Amino acid sequence: MSGEISDRDFTDRMVKRLPQEAPPPGFEAALLAAYDAWREARPHGAGAAWKAGFARFADLVWPGAPRWAPGAALAAALLVGAGLGTVLPAAAEDAAPAFSLEQPAAFSLSSDQQEDS
Amino acid sequence: MHDPDAEDVAGAGRGDRAATARLIARHAPKLLSVARRMLGGEAEDAVQEVFLRLWTHAAHWQPGRAKFETWLYRVMLNQCYDRLRRRPTQPLEAASDVADDTVPADTRLEANAQAQEIARALEGLPERQRAAILLCHFQEYGNVEAAEMMGISVEALESLLARGRRTLRTRLAHLNDFTGERT
Repeated sequence: MSGEISDRDFTDRMVKRLPQEAPPPGFEAALLAAYDAWREARPHGAGAAWKAGFARFADLVWPGAPRWAPGAALAAALLVGAGLGTVLPAAAEDAAPAFSLEQPAAFSLSSDQQEDS
Repeated sequence: MHDPDAEDVAGAGRGDRAATARLIARHAPKLLSVARRMLGGEAEDAVQEVFLRLWTHAAHWQPGRAKFETWLYRVMLNQCYDRLRRRPTQPLEAASDVADDTVPADTRLEANAQAQEIARALEGLPERQRAAILLCHFQEYGNVEAAEMMGISVEALESLLARGRRTLRTRLAHLNDFTGERT
């Protein structure tokens, strides 16, 4: 290293120069008060349970994202899926094979055998 | 994997105020510290929003699925990214080009000015590089834990760190009194 420090050590030294600022006075008390307010206002009933369930699911998919984001992603995925589901079978029909194992055969060995006999 | 927060999270979900106060005391200062470096003035609102998410999830938290602190940081970082994206774009280069000739003669003031310059250089980094640098250098988390917090692979984190460190070094190279050997 010929006496020169690495980028890692340089960054370490620089970042260590940044002051560790303490939270403003009353910040933790304000958070606790917010908790009390949330506990008081916690909704009850089936609608509230459904909303809370959706919120938990959304955070599972995309933690911390705005509420609309997971819903929008799901809607977009559904649209793409529905679109593909519509277009692909039609395309597959166009390219259908000339024969199918599910169709009865157009010829029979037994008739050939009768002719031979 | 023992999660030191698991009991308090369950307590917060049951409405236990003391458990909630312990969680706040343990995590709020560190979260706020990173949020300030990511967001500046909006940091307190962002941390409050993170804790609001926590209250909503606390009753249904399943210990063992993920470490609580990792989840908390992940929510906080997503909050930061979201708020940053809603801001009008600022030219990144402007951040590092300030205050070169305003360094006061007094040593303490000089150190303070240099700290501000470092903070501005950090602010000039892209958000994910900044988050990686803050988690690994400012909060001293290991690469594996920081990668989990950011929801990326360790390789991706190392790439972000390498680019962030290189940019910081380029922008702060003139602070050679900190490095000793560089000119």
